[in-house]
Amino acid sequence: MKYNSIIIGGGLSGLLAGIRLAKAGQKVAIISSGQSALHFSSGSFGLLGSVDGHSVTNPVEGIKNLPAVHPYSKVGAEKVISHAAEVKNLLSEAGLTFKGDATANHYHLTPIGRCRPAWLTLDDYATCEDLAAIKWKKVAIINFKGYLDFYPEFIADELKKKGIVSVSYTLSLPDLERLRKSSSEMRATAIAKYLKGDNLDLFATEINRVLTPDIDMVLIPAVVGLDSEKPLVDLRSKVKAPLSCVPVIPMSVGGLRCQMALRRYFESLGGVYFLGDSVSSGYMKAARMVSVETVNLAPVSLFADNFILATGSFFSHGLVAEPHKVVEPVFNLDVRVPSDRDEWFRKNLFEAQPFMEFGVDTDPQFRVKKDGKVIENVYAAGAILGGCNPLKEESGAGVATVTALEVADLILNQK
Amino acid sequence: MDKKHCKKHYDVIVIGAGATGAGTARDCAMRGLSTLLVERFDFTAGATGRNHGLLHSGARYAVTDRESATECIKENMILRKIARHCVEETGGLFVTLPEDDLEYQKKFVESCRLSGIDAEVIDPAEALRLEPAVNPDIIGAVKVPDGAVDPFRLTTANAISARQHGADILTYHEVVDLPVSNGRVTGVELLDRHTGERLVVDASLVINAGGIWGHLIAKKVGVTINMFPAKGALLIFGHRVNNTVINRCRKPADADILVPGDTISLIGTTSSRVPFDQVDNMDVTQEEVDVLLREGVKIAPSLAYTRILRAYAGVRPLVASDDDPSGRTISRGIVCLDHATRDGLEGFITITGGKLMTYRLMAEWATDMACRKLGHTGVCRTAETPLPGSEENVGEDKPRKSHIIEMSTDQLAAQGRHGSLSSEIEYKSDTDDALVCECEEVSVGEIKYAIDKLHVNNLVNLRRRTRLGMGTCQGGLCACRAAAILGNELGKRDEALCDLASFVNERWKGMMPVAWGQTLVEAQFTSWMYEGVCGLEPCKDNIKETHQQ
Amino acid sequence: MEYQVKNISPNNFEQCIKCTICTAYCPVLAVNPDYPGPKQAGPDGERYRLKNPEFYDKALKYCLNCKRCEVACPSNVKIGDIIQMARLDYDKKPVPLRDWTLANTDFVGSMATKMAPIVNTVLKMPIVKKAMDVTIGVDSHRQFPAYAGRTFESWMKKKAPDQSVYARQVSYFHGCYVNYNYPKLGQDFVKVMNAIGYGVRLLEKEKCCGVAKIANRLVKEAKRDAELNINSIRKAVMEGHAPVVGTSSTCIFTMRDEYPHLLGVDNSDVREDILIATAWLYRLMETEGVKLVFRPDYKARITYHTPCHMQKLGWTIYSVSLLKSIPGVDFVPIESQCCGIAGTYGFKKENYAYSQAIGKDLFEHIKEANVDFVATDCETCKWQIEMSTGVPVYNPISVIADALDVEATRRANGLV
Repeated sequence: MKYNSIIIGGGLSGLLAGIRLAKAGQKVAIISSGQSALHFSSGSFGLLGSVDGHSVTNPVEGIKNLPAVHPYSKVGAEKVISHAAEVKNLLSEAGLTFKGDATANHYHLTPIGRCRPAWLTLDDYATCEDLAAIKWKKVAIINFKGYLDFYPEFIADELKKKGIVSVSYTLSLPDLERLRKSSSEMRATAIAKYLKGDNLDLFATEINRVLTPDIDMVLIPAVVGLDSEKPLVDLRSKVKAPLSCVPVIPMSVGGLRCQMALRRYFESLGGVYFLGDSVSSGYMKAARMVSVETVNLAPVSLFADNFILATGSFFSHGLVAEPHKVVEPVFNLDVRVPSDRDEWFRKNLFEAQPFMEFGVDTDPQFRVKKDGKVIENVYAAGAILGGCNPLKEESGAGVATVTALEVADLILNQK
Repeated sequence: MDKKHCKKHYDVIVIGAGATGAGTARDCAMRGLSTLLVERFDFTAGATGRNHGLLHSGARYAVTDRESATECIKENMILRKIARHCVEETGGLFVTLPEDDLEYQKKFVESCRLSGIDAEVIDPAEALRLEPAVNPDIIGAVKVPDGAVDPFRLTTANAISARQHGADILTYHEVVDLPVSNGRVTGVELLDRHTGERLVVDASLVINAGGIWGHLIAKKVGVTINMFPAKGALLIFGHRVNNTVINRCRKPADADILVPGDTISLIGTTSSRVPFDQVDNMDVTQEEVDVLLREGVKIAPSLAYTRILRAYAGVRPLVASDDDPSGRTISRGIVCLDHATRDGLEGFITITGGKLMTYRLMAEWATDMACRKLGHTGVCRTAETPLPGSEENVGEDKPRKSHIIEMSTDQLAAQGRHGSLSSEIEYKSDTDDALVCECEEVSVGEIKYAIDKLHVNNLVNLRRRTRLGMGTCQGGLCACRAAAILGNELGKRDEALCDLASFVNERWKGMMPVAWGQTLVEAQFTSWMYEGVCGLEPCKDNIKETHQQ
Repeated sequence: MEYQVKNISPNNFEQCIKCTICTAYCPVLAVNPDYPGPKQAGPDGERYRLKNPEFYDKALKYCLNCKRCEVACPSNVKIGDIIQMARLDYDKKPVPLRDWTLANTDFVGSMATKMAPIVNTVLKMPIVKKAMDVTIGVDSHRQFPAYAGRTFESWMKKKAPDQSVYARQVSYFHGCYVNYNYPKLGQDFVKVMNAIGYGVRLLEKEKCCGVAKIANRLVKEAKRDAELNINSIRKAVMEGHAPVVGTSSTCIFTMRDEYPHLLGVDNSDVREDILIATAWLYRLMETEGVKLVFRPDYKARITYHTPCHMQKLGWTIYSVSLLKSIPGVDFVPIESQCCGIAGTYGFKKENYAYSQAIGKDLFEHIKEANVDFVATDCETCKWQIEMSTGVPVYNPISVIADALDVEATRRANGLV
């Protein structure tokens, strides 16, 4: 099998790179060893929310204060912003409507009512700005009976601190009563599978039934709109007050929607997506990767001119930790990790954990290294790059998408 | 219990709600003494909650300390009867590795016989059949009546029993002073760690069951007890590697016992003297992890690749003989001190030394002494009277839920944890059957029961009562759910998120020494979820239990 | 320290980090809340079953064994395997007659074939369907596939001399469906193989792959069949008649990936030689320069349904690439979803409604695609889709055989 580019890793970064390359006319394959971390998205993407513990209002400014090892520093501030704009376009082409832009952060509401900085937020999710705009008015928070992953009380408490009055209602629908028979599976994604068609109408009716005229906003758990945002658009049109979603404890319906929409868009551009397969070996000639073999397709090899490694961080097994070392398991590439295990961690989980910044070593063009030598046609993108703490910076999605487009551009601009 | 209901005066105040303290409170209450049990943190917060959970047959001590061995086997047989829901009758093996001296086995078996421990030499092949996890290279094996005991359940059951017999219990109340009048301790001054309030409660007798911290309590009234803290580290494996306790048949050394307990297995321990200022700082070092694995793999090879959930350490309260303050002659036996005769201070006794296995006997000794001193004529019945939860055959006639299986797995799990008391868990609606902790099958109903009946103030308490957050994901999935329920049930939502952050952090501390492979993935995932998605932050003024295991 | 280096345990369930991704992709859970879900039934439940077998939950029988949980899992947990293994290890209830009958596809098939016209007629009679529904719990909505009057094996016996003239030989694992119900697919396979210069031979002995017996907990019987099959395959490989290809994705999947861990039958020496026909054909074209030439007048608007086991094998690309290579094919992609039948699962009365609910979205997508027919590599998917959508379904090999210009293909491969 012969492709222009093969991308290893089918999450946010791999898909964005794949879409960009496929749009440019390339024949692209993505090999994904399982579903991605995008499934745990809050429904918001961060570009840069904080640098060294100081919150950032304008990422453009914040990027200037980042260390040289940071992926954004390698891309360059200007290009980060132009890529970010392009990311929003591509997401929109995939059928995903986001609010927000790269020059001014906003804040999204979290499952426990806190506000976290964001660059893009799915259009149907609540931002703290939305809430600020209705200060001193009344919010209705809706939950489902028996649903344990959404916390109206915590949200109400936080709203109260912001001077917002709220009232909580617990609803149920016959189909959800049925779902609750399962003691463990009343989850966001399971509910979302039921909340469509007639059930959605029923849900809207139930909400309207409890609404009083003084309610200015309805907050529901983000459990609507798995396949597309359409069910939410429908629901919004049927409920008598403005309605927004609040993220819940993952699985994330919004994240799943993003994953599916991006994959669909990638495939509609002619891309091939191998799910549940993993690269077992690579064949190199001089300083170039010629082909890879996968567990499922071997002995058939997959050839490509360029390869992108977008296998993510530990969660997605882009990196694997052993007691005293960290390895990149696909090609055994060079990684940037301190040799003393005591330097990997901090005792307080909420401190900046060094292991969060681990990644593969690359040249300035994001090309990976093996035994100190650059592999000329293998690029890294996304979380596997390391060099930053995506959690503390709120930059995970930003790094994933911006480096994906950067790497795609580097490939497309090759002579 | 709220301290509002606390009496002005008790016959006995027991300090420390480890197994010994709770057991002593139970014994006192059963003998008709009015009793108050006070604890600065939670039940089992000290050494009780930080050991193997091994129901010793006594075989381990048979060669070196026959007195302890004899006590152990007696208590072993008693606990099987009175604490059935806390005990797993797994049986145990003492295996000899090729590098060990098989001669020791003879001495061992003979010592067991002299201590009254049923020790049967079996063929190594038979041992391997009995316990497939054992190293196939063993050259000798002895079968002994070891088992597993859940110290959390055991202590809670003792506390419940004490309460049922009229005792009062105050957790999160620290003894800040022991008022003395006319050469007699007259009671305790308590600090409510939640509110900062202080109160004085009078008692005819104060029993110090503070474990390693007991010397600090004694110090308040100028009494010196020579203790030597010995740190022991253990590793928890992700599932049951073995179903029979595996011991190494040699002189007690590092990492020579592998105990299956509930859904996991435990290897331990190391042993190192630590200074007193370190007893609240039980970090497990890289070296300790290395030793535990290196030695553990020898008795069960699969430990080389089995996922480790966490590492933890506890402090043994070893007591030096009064006539040898240097500490060279350490007894693992029970030490019951009447400070009237020893130090000229009336109204105060200390029960210490011993081990989890002999907690009941320790309680009996202390209560005997208390009765003697108070001129009370009560007979000890704790050796015959089953603990709450262990009274009857459970599960036979209990109405089973109309699910596809007779009883849902969470109800089965709850029955395992609470014994016959599980009938008090209400499954009023489907909502109560919903799982909060999926790894350990803890339902909403069980959590509500624990909050209602088992002195639960925070998530760590809840974990000790139910196993919530003790499973594979170490609270990653369930902690937020539990925090919300707890906040609502206790009406303390403002504290719930602080509690959640400290719970997640406390879980991490145990994971950190073994954070590689999927355990590191789990930690990263948990961080994303709580800090990233939820925006959770730790609170500064949260009550910190020094011992949060 | 050399311990815990790979941290890869044979107890694969401990790789689970409780992320719950599998639950979002479980087709059963979406329609049947009685099923505990792959996470609870698999890795979570396993910890408890290791503690005490009493924790085995009979609701595990609702698992389709579609393996979509495994495909989705980011931690490579063999969730489906864990669940199936638990069913075999812990469910000690005797296997009911209905399940035995459904599972013994080859025994029942060989009986039915002898009396095919009668059996086919009888099985279609409403009163018989009703009776089976009421008495043994085979859902009356289901139509048993018709039995052929003559087995594929007997057809092949006659053809054997023709086949042996080819210089290159391939072994064919026909499976029960081709043998008893639809020999035409086997004949199509022979046609395609012959056109590219390969003679087709059968295994010395062939039994049912065992998937139905495994699903119905007839482990001993399944193991016996599996050993016989692997021995036959081994013999064919040793005699140089490799690979052994089949036209049913489930048979191939079972023999490659279920034999070792579920039945304890070691296939490691021949596993790579067991292939689905399209995969092998694709490989021949890519590595051996084999060419297929299609009729210029062939026209069809088609889609491909990815059977769950094809998804798990990761081989959809082969079938789809071959179909797309037919110039007259207008290919409409649809999303990969479970059709709900899962072999004998959907035949059981208690599963019928779930089976149809699982496939509902797929059926709608197929209807919306407005195709002439659906191609798929699995015969039970075929029955389900045909029954539920009215759209005909063919194996890709039959599609290729139909579209193939045999003479031109022979010429292109230098055979004339």
